[in-house]
Amino acid sequence: MKTRQLSFKVIWGKLGTVIIFIGMLLIFSLFAPPTFLAWGNLKQIATQSSTTMLIACGEFFTILVSGIDLSVGSVVALSGMITAKLMVNLGMNVLSAFLIGSVFCGLLLGAINGILINVTNVHPFIITLGTQAVYRALTLILSDAQATFGFPGTFSKFFGGIWNGIPMSVCVALIVAVLMWFVTSQTTFGRNLYVIGGNRESAWYSGINVKHHVLAVHMISGLCAGICGAVLTARLGAAEPNGATGYETSAIAAAIIGGTSFFGGKGSIPGVIIGALILGLISNGLNMCSVPTFYQNLATGLLLIFAVALDTFISRRK
Amino acid sequence: MEPLVEMKNIRKEFPGVVALEDVSFDVLPGEVHLLLGENGAGKSTLMKILSGIYTPTSGSICVHGCSYDKLSPKLSSQLGISIIYQELSVVNNLSIAENLFVGRLPVKKFLGILPVVDKRSYMKRADELARKVGLTKPVDTLVGDLSISEKQMVEIAKALAVDAKIVVMDEPTSSLTSEESNNLFGIIRKLRAAGIGVVYISHKMQELRAIGDRVTVLKDGNTVATKNMDEISSENEIISMMVGREVQKEFFSEKPVDYDTAEVIFRAEHITRKDKRSNDISFEVYRGEVLGFAGLVGAGRTELMTTIFSGQEYESGKIFLHGKELPIRSPYYSIKNGIALLTENRRESGVFPLHNIRENLVLVKRLLLSKAEGFIGLIHPKADQKVAEYQKNQMKIKCASLDQVITTLSGGNQQKVIVGKWMASDAKLIIFDEPTKGIDIGTKAEMYGIMRRLAEKGVGVIMISSELPELLGVCDRIVVLNEGKLKGVLNIRDASEELILKTATM
Repeated sequence: MKTRQLSFKVIWGKLGTVIIFIGMLLIFSLFAPPTFLAWGNLKQIATQSSTTMLIACGEFFTILVSGIDLSVGSVVALSGMITAKLMVNLGMNVLSAFLIGSVFCGLLLGAINGILINVTNVHPFIITLGTQAVYRALTLILSDAQATFGFPGTFSKFFGGIWNGIPMSVCVALIVAVLMWFVTSQTTFGRNLYVIGGNRESAWYSGINVKHHVLAVHMISGLCAGICGAVLTARLGAAEPNGATGYETSAIAAAIIGGTSFFGGKGSIPGVIIGALILGLISNGLNMCSVPTFYQNLATGLLLIFAVALDTFISRRK
Repeated sequence: MEPLVEMKNIRKEFPGVVALEDVSFDVLPGEVHLLLGENGAGKSTLMKILSGIYTPTSGSICVHGCSYDKLSPKLSSQLGISIIYQELSVVNNLSIAENLFVGRLPVKKFLGILPVVDKRSYMKRADELARKVGLTKPVDTLVGDLSISEKQMVEIAKALAVDAKIVVMDEPTSSLTSEESNNLFGIIRKLRAAGIGVVYISHKMQELRAIGDRVTVLKDGNTVATKNMDEISSENEIISMMVGREVQKEFFSEKPVDYDTAEVIFRAEHITRKDKRSNDISFEVYRGEVLGFAGLVGAGRTELMTTIFSGQEYESGKIFLHGKELPIRSPYYSIKNGIALLTENRRESGVFPLHNIRENLVLVKRLLLSKAEGFIGLIHPKADQKVAEYQKNQMKIKCASLDQVITTLSGGNQQKVIVGKWMASDAKLIIFDEPTKGIDIGTKAEMYGIMRRLAEKGVGVIMISSELPELLGVCDRIVVLNEGKLKGVLNIRDASEELILKTATM
């Protein structure tokens, strides 16, 4: 009996998120119309989740070292806006605009977060709460609060289109996810992050330069948000100054539902991806059941509490 | 006179250790009873039993004529027992008055119905209490703005506020200046005059006569003696009661180090910290020896080693390892150059509690093998397994599997994992800061063995310890520090507990 309970705990620890995902899938396939499980709709769920996947991958890094990044939504908007402006106002080609506007700006905005955290020693929650407002304001100033559109079709096609039946945004998200999975699980840098999240002081005494890692983590978070900015802009066909508002909440929720410990040191990229899919699944499923939007937030919120409480309950059991 | 409290034949066992064997202790009204003994003698355990934190294994506690098998913290404070710990428990962001009545602020009815805090009444009471202990600051001052000695007065006033009959003070003068100490003694005399029984724990020999009426000396969980202070002729008499133990010689190396020919492994020259908690300290570690560091609380041993290892607070001085000067910069560079530090707080700064034994063992080695200070490099699970397996066998770590989370191990085995971590990183000098803190006696012996073996293998070994018998039993030479300054280096042949204490306080 004892060994069975123990093994259940171990299985839950590894596959808890997958179990919740399958559970949700089963529930919706019972209550939602049969079209819910159709290939087209599943693709739709993946597409809708792709932006959350992207920023949640970055958010995961910051939570892993027991920090947080609240500025990701604003970074998405600002980098998306800069990318669009580079193409529309300066006539830059798609690749250069993406590299400068999305990749470089994302890294830069993340680096600003990381440097501020390291220099001031203020908790990341406060710093990124501040930069969230600052980056959003910069987006509004830069755009004069107007949406920017009219960029080359190749941009929309490449980041928001469909290629051989596969949504490109999902492709981009998966490429980033695989890359981030490799970084977290196969490199010394990634292992160091788990160790820092597990015990920052021990990590410092073991020779890990904690500050450099914190900086790197925020740059990765910014990079993911920057790429997400390109994807979102492409999908919407315009860079909206007020776009991506509140995305940080979904990113944090996806990471936590995906099994990331809010106190750092625990979690995995595949878990985060499934976490993002669960969020997409709920909103899509409730839509299919014609549940009004307000109730969707209710469901998401309750699921977040339920998933984490269940996880805590199971892992506390001896 | 009937004692206020009488603890009879107290025995306290912890898993694997007997902390108190058979201790009897009493406090009379209007006396200052000194409780003395070395670290680990059982003073704190005894006081924790009195405060109800620990339950005695056997024995009885008689308070005001009623006998109890055990106390609880609540019962203890209801019985008028108040303990002032070394780490003061005042709340810095509350005022003096609020601190005095924390948790039991007087209440009045506002408009006859609404219960509100009766500020005027508690401010008035607080004012009286503050005057009693000689606290001159207004009682609405934030405690965070007070000096340590003033905070202590707040603690004493707190004891008076609950009408304590017995006040225990655990090394109250350890962070006070001599003037502040004298001030404190004045307050203690007032308490004594008011019929309160004071239990006074201290390591400072010179204050005992100034304040004590009776003295009880503990050693290894037993009462050595309880005597009136006027029966005691000299401080040395007390010291010899506290120490006088057979030194375990079993960990000494077979052949003593020949200091004329032995190679110097590590040399530190004029190390000075910005905060002066290490001031112009020079020493060397020879091949084959274990170099001990002794000193009272606040001597600056940990601070010295932290600066050497990490460069924190570093102001000036040089270090040499095998003759080569090394930069004092960051933990990474020290580790890369072969210096390792086992910190005093295993839980806070030694282990990685979420990770398994393998990860804890290979972490530093992996860091050194990768590039750019550990940023660039790939994981090699097979190599990690090999390293971990080797260290597990070398250190004789008792575990079912390397996949076990480290916190499932005993304290001693966790310590072995940390030593293994440093051995895996090819450390040439290992600094052990209180390596046997909180581990059982059997593992302690094993730790001594490990340190000796490392020394014989040619690794430089430094051991900081507050337990003198252990330093005397393991080390070849002992550096004595006090208040950031080097007071002397003793060869083990001449060293004794008395000499160390004298050197430190000289």
